[in-house]
Amino acid sequence: MPGGVEFTESADTPRSHIALRIIAQDPSVKGDDDKILTATVRIPWSRMEDGPRGARLHVVDFDASTGRYLKHPGLPNDDEFADAEDEELETSHVFHAQQVYAAASRTLSAFESALGRRLAWGFNGHHLYLVPHAFAEANAYYSFEDRALLFGYVPGDDETVTYTCLSYDVVVHETTHALLDGLRRRFLEPGLPDQAAFHEGFADIVALLSVFSMHPVVEQALGKADKNGRIKRRQVERDHLRSGVLTGVAEQLGKVLTQGRGALRRSAMTPPPPDWAELPQYEEPHRRGEVLVAIVLDVLLDIWVKRLEPLLQPDEEARVATLDRARAAEEGARAAAQLLTMMIRGLDYLPPVEFEFGDLLDAVLLADAEVVPDDDLGYRDMLIDRFDKAGVERPRNRVTNVVEAEVAPHYLGFNFAALRSDRDEVFRFLWQNAQRLDVCTKYYTVIESVRPSQRVGPDGLIVPEFVATYVQMLDLSAGELRQMAELATPETLDPATPVQLLGGGTLVFDQFGRLKLHIHKNLDDWRRQLRRLEYLHRTGRYDTDKRLGFSEGAARGQAFAELHNTELGAGEAW
Amino acid sequence: MSTVERVRVRMYQVGFGDCFLLSLEYDEPLQDGRAERHVLIDYGSTRSARKDRAKGRMKDVAPLIREHTHGQLDVVVLTHRHKDHLFGFADDAGAATLRILEPKLVLRPWTEDPSLPARADGPASGAGAMVAGPDGIGAASARFARNLSDAQEAAGQLAARPGLHAGLKAAADEQLKNADAIALLDELATQQAGAYLFAGCDAGTANLVPGLEVTVLGPATVEQDARVARQTEEHTEYWMAALRASLHEAAGPATTARAGAESTVPVGPGPVRWLIGRLGEHKTHSVARLVRKLDDALNNTSLILLMEVGGLSMLFPGDAQIEDWQHTLDRIAGDAELKKKLTGIDLYKVGHHGSRNATPRSLHALWADRSDTLPPLTALMSTRPDVHGGSEATAVPRATLVTALKQVATLISTDDLDRGQAFVEIVAETTGGPFRLAP
Repeated sequence: MPGGVEFTESADTPRSHIALRIIAQDPSVKGDDDKILTATVRIPWSRMEDGPRGARLHVVDFDASTGRYLKHPGLPNDDEFADAEDEELETSHVFHAQQVYAAASRTLSAFESALGRRLAWGFNGHHLYLVPHAFAEANAYYSFEDRALLFGYVPGDDETVTYTCLSYDVVVHETTHALLDGLRRRFLEPGLPDQAAFHEGFADIVALLSVFSMHPVVEQALGKADKNGRIKRRQVERDHLRSGVLTGVAEQLGKVLTQGRGALRRSAMTPPPPDWAELPQYEEPHRRGEVLVAIVLDVLLDIWVKRLEPLLQPDEEARVATLDRARAAEEGARAAAQLLTMMIRGLDYLPPVEFEFGDLLDAVLLADAEVVPDDDLGYRDMLIDRFDKAGVERPRNRVTNVVEAEVAPHYLGFNFAALRSDRDEVFRFLWQNAQRLDVCTKYYTVIESVRPSQRVGPDGLIVPEFVATYVQMLDLSAGELRQMAELATPETLDPATPVQLLGGGTLVFDQFGRLKLHIHKNLDDWRRQLRRLEYLHRTGRYDTDKRLGFSEGAARGQAFAELHNTELGAGEAW
Repeated sequence: MSTVERVRVRMYQVGFGDCFLLSLEYDEPLQDGRAERHVLIDYGSTRSARKDRAKGRMKDVAPLIREHTHGQLDVVVLTHRHKDHLFGFADDAGAATLRILEPKLVLRPWTEDPSLPARADGPASGAGAMVAGPDGIGAASARFARNLSDAQEAAGQLAARPGLHAGLKAAADEQLKNADAIALLDELATQQAGAYLFAGCDAGTANLVPGLEVTVLGPATVEQDARVARQTEEHTEYWMAALRASLHEAAGPATTARAGAESTVPVGPGPVRWLIGRLGEHKTHSVARLVRKLDDALNNTSLILLMEVGGLSMLFPGDAQIEDWQHTLDRIAGDAELKKKLTGIDLYKVGHHGSRNATPRSLHALWADRSDTLPPLTALMSTRPDVHGGSEATAVPRATLVTALKQVATLISTDDLDRGQAFVEIVAETTGGPFRLAP
């Protein structure tokens, strides 16, 4: 440009986001053009180093089976794989690095924007390692101790290799484990069966909704369109959306993890039997987690169907009516994204210990009411209805609305700035107000987290809060528990067995530092404690010192490796 | 015509392993002049018994079997190809004794049939993939068996790798093909007769052991029950193929690198080196999982035999785990006769030495609901604690199962025998149970 000025952006100008192409499901899922179905996703921009290595994620392409290490360049601002052919996507380890980085980054970003703050991983550190080719095994898992997500691969007979890292949902599922572990680390401790199911079920929910929030996936799943891009009305009828579209996508997920997860997903597609809570096979974490997945997918359908209503002409004859496939897909993707945000937002309102399904319903409703007081589309009612149909009720007396409580907490002598960031200050607050909050101080008590959050409601206004969690612990023998609770412990349980009990609560403060909500699981809820004890004893979940309720006793880094080994005969093992 | 009067079952102390002798006693001599018939079910050990118990070496057990059979064996059953069920066939003293006893029929699961691989070139998917041959076995089963056999070979290579983690080596060793033992069984089967069984087929014992009715409940072939191969629609035996390929990769030399992925950069000090240092342990865990899956797969080739003699019935499931049982569990729902039979058994050989996933809870539930009019159930468990399972949850025998079995049966474990007891012997009249300890 003679004499002029170059106005093109310099390559290293920071941007807020970069767009990257990823495989939308896994390489076996093809689009209309019979090529691998891909999508372009926006992820937060970060300064890049080799690895690739950004601010929060670090890809280490080391294969422990073969001992080879590949260092890939940092992700460029302009996607190198925007027009790459399928073969390159499948075989290029550089692309594999991009796939895991982008999928994990998109997941982190979904959590951060829903919760309105930066999120910590479950471990002490800022970089989550992503190992795209960790070992030759059809397995993928999160290892807390190694601060890593490990993705295996399956070597094939004829140079064809199946990579778990190329399955978008697998990467999202594992990333969710790392995030949930950061939010509620006590959920990995021995608890009631819902608790183990929560990690699996919620990770599946995030994976499914995340896949479903990509337009190309929904478009593809809706089925073939005519030359004008229109589909028949019956293709968006509720039954077809459930059995054809959603099931179709769900069945394609997790296939590479050969342990029957694909097959089990099918059961997530159908509502659980009414007596599921009584059936032994529903004690297996994956199977139980699917109850949550099934509920949330039904809500997704409800929202989608509602959002499709304006697109349908009521007076048109159903047989000939058509609608634009891209628009229908957009509504589905938007429904998934909204529901995902809603579910993640609820996490801050969960109690810190002893998760039960009803707690999730409660938490999502509470969080949603803060941000979207009106709920004009009735999403909350849909959620209540679907949980209710699955036999999950809102727990009673677990949440105290402190603002409306007869006796307000003391605030005198508290420093707002300290209260919103300092665990000791929050502990002082809890100590001073113990009686007013009905918190028994006889037990070991610790503030585990104090976290600010800022969220934008649909009206564009910011909802600032901060949330603190405290945990209480008590070590005693089964016999002592029997005396304290004045309730019978299982007959076959040795009264000398050491037992650890947990309780705790979540404190939600508003922007003035006033306590709004106290969500609690009291340690001295003896009936719950005995239910937990009975469950742990009956299922033989003793640690190596023959204690109950202390730890799960898995080898280092292996807590999640085994969880993915779903047994075909769930509920048949001892 | 001779009829069976009495059934005697002996469980030998073999440490960790299985070795059972089923003896039928007739009221008068059969055609060959003998008034008894003997069926040996498994003949193995991987670890001698704990302190203060009879050692249970095969060289000690073999003479006892010779004595108890009076020198003639009618049927040998190998439930599946694991050392703790067949080591005796490879042991010098054990093999010599078996040659002398000259069993007339050798029964093994269908996956052991050496003629299978020859037919493994059928379609991998689509029409024809799941069509059984006249013997109930089709191409998908053949491929499954070939992959399984190949995976065992990989485990063998793995076990031979120098510097392998000791626990892993021990686990891999248990998956070896045990060629010597199989060679002896082949030899015996060739001299007399042999059969490879699958669910529903005739065991062919009617003439050899009059009065004994054998129902083969498992293993199913892939054609009979696709879950055997845990197949997906596109890829009929993906699971086993994946396991085989992964084990081969793990067994290969560490320098193997796939084309296009050779460039290895030196790793200097820093976070990457920290992680790489720790990933080695994950590889060990990963390979251990693969070996365990192979172990499970082999256990799931176990013959599940329901043996009925007069008013007595006995269940010998080898090491069948839930996947092997699944075919039968599904049938129970719609087959009242089978359900009644399994509810009313007199003897249960505890599956897989009392591991957590070899006695299906729904089977146990049948026994918990038994009517009081049925004679009490006896359970025989050949096991040794502290051999398998690193945690309470995976320990063999599993404490919760042992407790549950004691609630529904008289449980006799080899681990409860003392130094002077090289075997335990129970006996029952064919008019009806219960079995009782032989005086």
